[in-house]
Amino acid sequence: PERTPPRSGPAPSRPRLAKMSSAEPGRFFCTAGRGLEPFLAREVRARLGATEVDCVSGKVFFRAAAGPGELRQLRSGERLFLLLKKHGPLPVSGNRGKMLHEIKSLIIEDPKYWLDIISVWRKLHKHEGKTDDGSQENTLALKRKSEEDTNTASKKQKTEQVTAVVSEECQMGAGETCEVPDRISGQECWTESRTSSELPSRGSGENPAANEELSFSFRVSCRCSGAIARILTSQEVGKAIGTTLVKQCRWRADLRDPDLEIFVHLNDIHSVVGIPLFRLPLANREYIRTAGLRSTVAWAMASLAEIRAGALVLDPMCGLGTILLEAAKEWPEACYWGADISESQLEGADGNIRTAGLVDKIELLKASVKGM
Amino acid sequence: MKLLTHNLLSSHVPGLRPGGGFPLRIELGHPSELPPEPSPGYEADEEFLRRLHHVLLEVEVLEGSLQCPDSGRRFPISRGVPNLLLTEDEA
Repeated sequence: PERTPPRSGPAPSRPRLAKMSSAEPGRFFCTAGRGLEPFLAREVRARLGATEVDCVSGKVFFRAAAGPGELRQLRSGERLFLLLKKHGPLPVSGNRGKMLHEIKSLIIEDPKYWLDIISVWRKLHKHEGKTDDGSQENTLALKRKSEEDTNTASKKQKTEQVTAVVSEECQMGAGETCEVPDRISGQECWTESRTSSELPSRGSGENPAANEELSFSFRVSCRCSGAIARILTSQEVGKAIGTTLVKQCRWRADLRDPDLEIFVHLNDIHSVVGIPLFRLPLANREYIRTAGLRSTVAWAMASLAEIRAGALVLDPMCGLGTILLEAAKEWPEACYWGADISESQLEGADGNIRTAGLVDKIELLKASVKGM
Repeated sequence: MKLLTHNLLSSHVPGLRPGGGFPLRIELGHPSELPPEPSPGYEADEEFLRRLHHVLLEVEVLEGSLQCPDSGRRFPISRGVPNLLLTEDEA
C-alpha cells in the first residue's frame, strides 16, 4: 500500500523538469532504505517528471524519459535498475521443480529480446566505461567481500552488507515483527553457473556476432524473501537462472567483473527482474570524502528543513557534516553552519567541505549544543 | 571564520547580564577598512555594499580570538574555526 509522503520541503530549487531530455521513456525501479520510499517517489516526480510511480516497501517503480546523467541525480535512492520484468508473486507450492520451472520461464525469451536489452544497456553505459579507475577500485572491494562471503561454505544465513543498505520486503504477518525474520530469510548471492564448463566448443566458422555473444559476460544477483525463501534458497534460484541464460544466450558467467548484472528479486509482493544502471550505489557521492550518516538519509533530513534561498541553517551536532553537505549541494542559496564538540569530527568535516568545494557555503564552529 | 558568522555568536559565560555577551570583540592583526557606522543611504551606495559584502562573506579570520565584552573571556580561533566550548569549571 502506498504511504502518504510526510510534510516535507519543496522540490529541489533548480527547475530540472524544464530540461528537455532526448532520452526515450523507460521503466525503472530504484531501491530505497526503509522509510525513504516517499522521499524517493517525490524525487522521481520532481526531478525526472516520472509517471506511473509505484511505491512498495523498499522500492519505487516509475516510468521516465531520462538519460543516465539525470537519473544519477537522484539523492534518496540506493540502487537504480532498468526494469525488465515485474510480475505478481511466484505461486508457492511444495513442488520445488515446478517452482524452479516457473522462475526460469520468467527469463526465457526469444534471442532478440536479450540482444535488445544489451543494446539498451550499452547505450546507457556509454558514459560509464569499465576503465574508470575510481569506480573499479570500489567495485573490486565490494566484489572481493562478496566473494569471501560466497566462499564460506556454511549454511548460515548471510546478513546484508552494510554498504548496500537495501530494505527487504517486510512481511506484516499477524503479530510478526518485520525486520529480523525477513533479513534472515533473504540471502545475498553471487552465482556462477556450473554449466559454463559444459559449453559446446565453437567451430572456426563462427560469425563475429556470435563470438561477441559468447564473450559477453554476466552475473546473476538473486534475492529471495518471504514464503519463497522457505522452499528455495537464493543460491539455487540464482543458479537456475544463470544456467538458463547461458543455455539461451550463450553468455559467459563471470563472478568477478561481468559486463552485465541481472538482478532478480522474488518475494511475497512481486517477482522483479532488472539490470542495474550504475556499478556503484547512488548513495556513493563523489563529493563526500569521509562518509558519516548515510547520504540518502542526510539528504532526506535536509529536504524536511524546507530550505529556501537566503535561509540560515545550523546543524548543532554536525559530526562529519554529511547533512550540511547534502543540503548545501541541493540548496546552495543559503548559509550553513555546523557545530560539534569533537575536534576530530570537525577535522573530518573540514576535509569533506573542502573536497566538496563548499568552503564558501559551510562554516564550522567548535561548540556544544548545550551552550547555544 | 567569516564575519557573518561572528555576527551570530555571543558569549555564554554564565552569570552575564542580558545581552552582555554580544558582540564579541574580534582581536586581529590589522584594523578594518570600513567605517564604524554605515553612513545614511548606504543601501544605494554600490561601492559601500561591495566592500560590506567582501568583509562579511569573503574575509576569513584564520587565527585570532573573540573576546566577551562583559567578562573578558577569550574564545580562540584556530585554523578558521572558533572554539566556543566552556571548561568544566566555567559551565
